[in-house]
Amino acid sequence: MGNNEYVVQMQGITKVYPNGVAANQGVDFHVKRGEIHALMGENGAGKSTLMKMLFGLEQPTEGEIIVNGEVVSLTSPTVAISKGIGMVHQHFMLVPSLTVAENMVLGMEPKKGVFIDYKKAVQITEEYAKKYNLHVDPNAKIIDIPVGMKQKVEILKALVRGAKILILDEPTAVLTTQETAELFKELVSLKEQGYTIIFISHKLKEIKQITDRLTIMRGGKSMGVYETAGITEQDISRLMVGRDVILTVEKEKAQPTDVVLKVRDLEYTDSWNRKMLDKLSFSVRKGEILGIAGVEGNGQRELVEMLFHLNTPDAGSVTVNGKNILGMPQRKIRELGVSLIPEDRMVYGIAASGTIEENMISDRFDKKKFNKGMLFNMNAIHKESNELIADYKVLCKSYKQEIGMLSGGNIQKVVVAREFSSDPKLIIADQPTRGIDVGATEFIRKKLVELSREGAAVLLVSADLNEVMELSDSLVVFYNGNIAAYFEDTSVLNDEIMGEYMLGLKRQSDEEIRRVCHE
Amino acid sequence: MNNRRMFMFEIIRGAAAILVALIVAMVFIFICSDKPFEALRYMLVAPLITNGSISMNSIYTILAAMTPIIFTGLAVCVMFSSNQFNLGGEGCVMLGGFVAALVGIYWSTGTYLDIVIAVLVASAACAAVLYIPAVLKVKLGASEMVSSLMMNYIIMYVVLHFLNHVFADGSKGSVQTFPFAATAKIPQLVAGGSKLTWGFLIALLFTLLVALFMYRMRWGYSIRMIGINENFAKYSGMKVGAVIILSQVIGGFLSGMGGAIEVLGRYETFLWRDLPGHGWTGITVAILAKNNPIFIPVAAFFISYLNRGCTLMATYCDVPSEMVDIIQAVIFLFFAAEKFLAKYRQKLVVAGAKEEIAQKTASTPKAEGGEA
Repeated sequence: MGNNEYVVQMQGITKVYPNGVAANQGVDFHVKRGEIHALMGENGAGKSTLMKMLFGLEQPTEGEIIVNGEVVSLTSPTVAISKGIGMVHQHFMLVPSLTVAENMVLGMEPKKGVFIDYKKAVQITEEYAKKYNLHVDPNAKIIDIPVGMKQKVEILKALVRGAKILILDEPTAVLTTQETAELFKELVSLKEQGYTIIFISHKLKEIKQITDRLTIMRGGKSMGVYETAGITEQDISRLMVGRDVILTVEKEKAQPTDVVLKVRDLEYTDSWNRKMLDKLSFSVRKGEILGIAGVEGNGQRELVEMLFHLNTPDAGSVTVNGKNILGMPQRKIRELGVSLIPEDRMVYGIAASGTIEENMISDRFDKKKFNKGMLFNMNAIHKESNELIADYKVLCKSYKQEIGMLSGGNIQKVVVAREFSSDPKLIIADQPTRGIDVGATEFIRKKLVELSREGAAVLLVSADLNEVMELSDSLVVFYNGNIAAYFEDTSVLNDEIMGEYMLGLKRQSDEEIRRVCHE
Repeated sequence: MNNRRMFMFEIIRGAAAILVALIVAMVFIFICSDKPFEALRYMLVAPLITNGSISMNSIYTILAAMTPIIFTGLAVCVMFSSNQFNLGGEGCVMLGGFVAALVGIYWSTGTYLDIVIAVLVASAACAAVLYIPAVLKVKLGASEMVSSLMMNYIIMYVVLHFLNHVFADGSKGSVQTFPFAATAKIPQLVAGGSKLTWGFLIALLFTLLVALFMYRMRWGYSIRMIGINENFAKYSGMKVGAVIILSQVIGGFLSGMGGAIEVLGRYETFLWRDLPGHGWTGITVAILAKNNPIFIPVAAFFISYLNRGCTLMATYCDVPSEMVDIIQAVIFLFFAAEKFLAKYRQKLVVAGAKEEIAQKTASTPKAEGGEA
């Protein structure tokens, strides 16, 4: 047991959630002292669950956890921290209205009498920042600092609390390329100082670049531990998904015709007085996929909300096939043939405690086809659900199953099945493959291309650069609530060009951008 | 498979809650009674069996007591399903009874049509009344819980005003209306003093209708989906505001019908001087039935049985009838407590997941072959 080489040993870990999902099944996970160890796997492979147990947020159903040779029972993060384990979550756990220094000492504030010794807090922050070469401004409020610095604060927070083992949950997901490079430098320096880092990610390049060893998970099980240097990207990918992933989607060249969606001079200022949409104009034509790329928070969400009357713009117009849809009830918008895959499926996409069937028919239950006089035509409804489940390959026991029990990918397939099967003229796909497994992702992307080639107009909003570049026929880049660039042909693009426009370093001329209105 | 297991779990959980409540009740009975075992016998057994034989009369009494709370339970079911905590059922029972009595007195046609007219007019009046908190909620965002709760007292005092000053029968010693027409009285189902009327069968009929409405009709479906996730309903294109109003109007209609049938079946005149309490009991019933209309009569039977038992216990022994409130409160507590028996539930879930994994492993080679 007391093998000193390993700092963390998780043995035969099984975790079953109250909703019956077995997220981990007999997983072994061993981390050596002073290494950067990658935990890899698709979304839903069980990485986060495993790490939540190591950080005391969840308790294993079976199995034991050994930290520094000692069997531990990690009943809460407080216990985990006392064992020297720290975690940096993907969504930062910081108090936005407090300063960096205040966040640093939260829960362990230095006191002067009954008051918090703020000067001491600043001093501690500066001391640690200097020691670990993680530069932060102790007096800045969290709400005002960039994402990259927030992450540093999170790392420092863990270090101040005495963490020797750092768990980083997809740390680069929210960072720009430059910020990522900086983070990696800092991680290597931490490693050299004797810290152990567990790095959760599914980005192959980063893993190859920075880690020493890696553990791959798939379907809640460990697929083995490998020396990073000794394994190719192809092998990793195969182990992660169980087959060679072809994420390029075959598509014929688009033959766009008439304008379907026409957005003109849309403006919106939110309740914090930020201008989220600034004289936004563009058009989407029948038979094409127009992608919207951009760093999140540049107006994409607001635009989608306006298009489905989930919010109201200050000015501007939106028409679908010539009909003004602003202020129209959702039912009417849907009757015009507009479909929406919402960004967050749990908020708008489904009624979680309803059955799969109840979720499949939510937009069409009052159609004649599904009613016999006052009553539902249950046979027609069951038939529809069964067909959609089969067509969209939803993995489930039957249409009677509670949808909330399904995995993210299968929930999304239900949403997509409903939205794609209503004979849509315009599909708004907002982050259609976010947080779902590769299989479901590929399926949904193929369907999207298929529908556009059959004549639907598609507006694709995605934070996944690969997705938006791969799927779109033409593409606009959003920056500060406006279009920074329009590319008629996406095949000439690469990350670098995109990056410059996404970060606001460059902007096309108004004439170039105006072309997306197709007038 | 998992669904069935969870269903069994819910039943076991419910039974355990009831058991705990009875044990608590027993503790109190042992404290305050000189003859605790006799008191217990009265509470638990006497409603069914008296003098060694099954007492039909007592059973009829229980069934009769179920009638109004089936209606209010159904009303709460419909309203709570759309996630609207409308508590106006109580006032509606009183108003429904009052309006039905007035129709039975002043608009009598001299035929049994009186009953139908009186009940429908009363129900419609109550539907209209609960339209008010519903519209306030949808249009102005006023909490339906607060406004409907207040509505109960407005209704009560308005009814009392008209009862005292306009419709009172001056020849009687206590405040009450004139007797309603004989043709407005709902006929007894069985002879004797139990007052079990045809209203009971109407209540069962409405249980079926409400179940059909909630699970086999588009409006009921909309109500349930809005209750689960209003955002989802809106995004799907449902008329959220209209459906929320509809659910509460139906709630008012059912509560009013319960009050009307209660008054026309069990009384000769309208003489309620206070809120009758059936609306509150309806909330307990709906919670026991987990908002599923089909289980409402079962829950109503249980509550009525308990009430009857406690009444008998209070009549023949030295335990106050308020015991029923204690028992109800404890059951409530455990039903509402999400984590009650959570560990046992987790065990069931783990067992289910393991079975599933085993099944999957057994069928894996086939599945992979199919995909390739």
